[in-house]
Amino acid sequence: MPGPDLLSSQGLRLDGRRPNELRRIRCKLGVFAQPDGSAYLEQGNTKVLAAVYGPHQASKSKSLQDGVVVNCQYSMATFSTGERKNHPRGDRKSQEMSMHLRQALTAAIKTELYPRSQIDIYVEVLQADGGAYCASVNAATLALIDAGIPLRAYACACSASMAWRNGKPEPLLDVGHVEEAAGGVVLTVASLPSTGSIGLIEMSHRLHMDYFDVVLSRAMQGCRDIEVILDRAVREHLAEGWTKQDVVVI
Amino acid sequence: MTRHVKIRLASERVNHSVSSNNELPRFYTPGEVITGMQDFMRGHGTYAEDDSLKASVAGVMQKVNKLICIRPLKSRYVGEIGDVVVGRVLEVQQRRWKVETNSRLDSVLQLSSVNLPGGELRRRSEEDELMMRKHLQEGDLISAEVQSVFSDGSLSLHTRSLKYGKLSQGILIKVFPSLIKRRKNHFHNLPCGISVIIGNNGYIWISPQEKSNMVEGEKDEIANIESQTVNRSERETMGRVKNCIAALVASKMMLDDTSIMFAYEESLKYEDVKDLLDTEAMLDVAFLTQHRINYVDED
Amino acid sequence: MAGLLLSPTEKVFIVHGVQEDYRSDGRSNIDYRPMELETDVVSHASGSARLRLANTDILVGVKTEIDIPTPENPDLGKIEFFVDCSANATPEFEGRGGEQLAIGISNLMQRAYHSSQAFNLKQLCIVESKQCWKLYVDILILECGGNLCDAVSLAVKAALFNTRIPFVKAALMDGGNVDLQLSDDPYDSKLLDVGSAPLLVTLCKIGDKCVVDPSAEEESCSVISVIVGITGNSSCYCEDNSSPETGGKFTTIDMNGPGSVAPKTLKDAINQGIVAAKLLDKSLGEALLRERQESVKLKKYSYGFLK
Repeated sequence: MPGPDLLSSQGLRLDGRRPNELRRIRCKLGVFAQPDGSAYLEQGNTKVLAAVYGPHQASKSKSLQDGVVVNCQYSMATFSTGERKNHPRGDRKSQEMSMHLRQALTAAIKTELYPRSQIDIYVEVLQADGGAYCASVNAATLALIDAGIPLRAYACACSASMAWRNGKPEPLLDVGHVEEAAGGVVLTVASLPSTGSIGLIEMSHRLHMDYFDVVLSRAMQGCRDIEVILDRAVREHLAEGWTKQDVVVI
Repeated sequence: MTRHVKIRLASERVNHSVSSNNELPRFYTPGEVITGMQDFMRGHGTYAEDDSLKASVAGVMQKVNKLICIRPLKSRYVGEIGDVVVGRVLEVQQRRWKVETNSRLDSVLQLSSVNLPGGELRRRSEEDELMMRKHLQEGDLISAEVQSVFSDGSLSLHTRSLKYGKLSQGILIKVFPSLIKRRKNHFHNLPCGISVIIGNNGYIWISPQEKSNMVEGEKDEIANIESQTVNRSERETMGRVKNCIAALVASKMMLDDTSIMFAYEESLKYEDVKDLLDTEAMLDVAFLTQHRINYVDED
Repeated sequence: MAGLLLSPTEKVFIVHGVQEDYRSDGRSNIDYRPMELETDVVSHASGSARLRLANTDILVGVKTEIDIPTPENPDLGKIEFFVDCSANATPEFEGRGGEQLAIGISNLMQRAYHSSQAFNLKQLCIVESKQCWKLYVDILILECGGNLCDAVSLAVKAALFNTRIPFVKAALMDGGNVDLQLSDDPYDSKLLDVGSAPLLVTLCKIGDKCVVDPSAEEESCSVISVIVGITGNSSCYCEDNSSPETGGKFTTIDMNGPGSVAPKTLKDAINQGIVAAKLLDKSLGEALLRERQESVKLKKYSYGFLK
């Protein structure tokens, strides 16, 4: 069970946030010219770049008749963590993260529209300060929207942990690196907030069944909050990029 | 003083937006409900769920009678019959060529859809299949028209007209297809002396104007013209047009022959064509062009 | 890099343009496209820089570590380069696709920085034969638009200029083992002397002439390119111009491509490279000094990819 140091007596966390406060999210769509869609997202000190290529013709070995092939790669820059990381990708953790990304994003993409095509999603973590997977899912969603690929809904991810306050469980939203390292359960949820369905759940350490619902609902609330932030960013981007005289309404 | 190297800092970055904020349309984002009524037909960018019509991309709504589509800012090219495209030949297959047109599946140019040298009308024989490579090779650029759309969305092209066919010397520019307006004519001879082909798929071809009428089939003449050196003034004009198009694209403005001509005229105050590569110059040209277009609209 | 597919007539057009010293976007054979530079973009690293050269985007992070010097060079520190081609640049770099290119560039950089006149490793020494600093220079290629080597060398030099090495406060000799105490204050650090660090210049042979800063299309037209590493001029990197003029020396040369080049063309190319490197160095020095003055006056606002 997590120690008492995750939450101070005044109810503040190790980085000064309140239990249900997200880290500051800043993002931008369309940062690169070469990929079909790209996005940059900052969640606190975690910085992630996502690039989307496609849909384009699938290679013969991977082609599917009834839907699109979604190909993800998760890669961390060598200078992203405090200790230098020797291999940006190819190790087991990155491969696992790539599969998780694929799982979460395939749930959101309308795959039946593009038979025999392939969509490549590449995520590069520039700075990892906890919650890199969540930031990757959020950045990848923005990149998919930037590329004009039809989505069922936004795919958002958020993590939650649990601490004790006055003997009662208090779930913490958006776990940072310091809190992850201090021990304690971390529940990561990737969902489509507007439909309420969950694409991926991942949990580390142990959590008692009695507290599972509380932590899960806090994480789902976090996803909904993130969706609002992402939606606002998308609308701002559309407003900047739209020019007159290109819409016809009869 | 023209400098050969220019390095600027991030703090000196320039925002390329030239849009005016007073008349923004209603934007739709993925998962947002457009309307609950069922008697609308759903077009691109929408899907139906639980008795309501929802958007699947982020963009503006286009409504034509009962058909609702959402058009995103950026997307791969979605072809329609009659569109003019510029494409690059990727492969030579058995009775057709595979052409890349910036869409999600490669397009196809059938052997039966090209004009035979000499303008004959006959069934394609075995010899023609073997001579396919002499006509079009991998890497060649062609201008073509979309003949039909297959069920999976890939396009079938044809070049059955004298204005289509292989392209010779010039510059190819790739932009996003949503920046190209659908017009009646996509082949423009600009008054500055060069010709521009604006493909619906976002590929724009700039080439020097053809001076004399060529007779198809005269192989020697064609070879000569292909390797003839383009003269200096035409090269400068082409470079200027290329930089103007890049400036318009950076500010996400629509491209057609009027906007390109306006941008060209506004850019003449920069004598050296390479000065147009600067971001401040690009924003300046785009801003002035937008101004002129607004002015023309108001008239 | 896999070359772009171009039609023969497009290549003819480009080659003729180069012959006349007028390229397709109006540049001459020795003009560079406009670049953008920002330092201190990654907070976990001791120094970092991001350089954007038209469509090419490079991010460099420098990390410091304490290490034991090699027995042959007890008073020198170490520097190691690592290049990572991110799949963001092109789908071909997925998985291990970009490895060959990455290894090529990192070896080139290692050779360029090898000479003591290029980068003085003595400044990385802490205690002779016992402890020294090791710099890990990690280069991330985010987007590929032609002319990678030049952009990489510029970004590396900017990142090294930005690197801060903590001061060593106390060194206790504990029976042969050295115990170091590093200062905790992030501002109590020293900067590196990178004025003479080399810059790479790629000269692409198209037809008979050589061009600098080739775009991706121009690179597909050339059969061979010559890459030269030229040391920098320290006086450009000092605010008061106190250092003497140095630089202009060769540190490495490399060739890339299936073709070959005549000796006279090679000599002309090298001279062209030296001229270009001097101009690059001067501009980079001016930009870095300008940024340093800005960050002293107002609190540094990090732009990164936003804005």
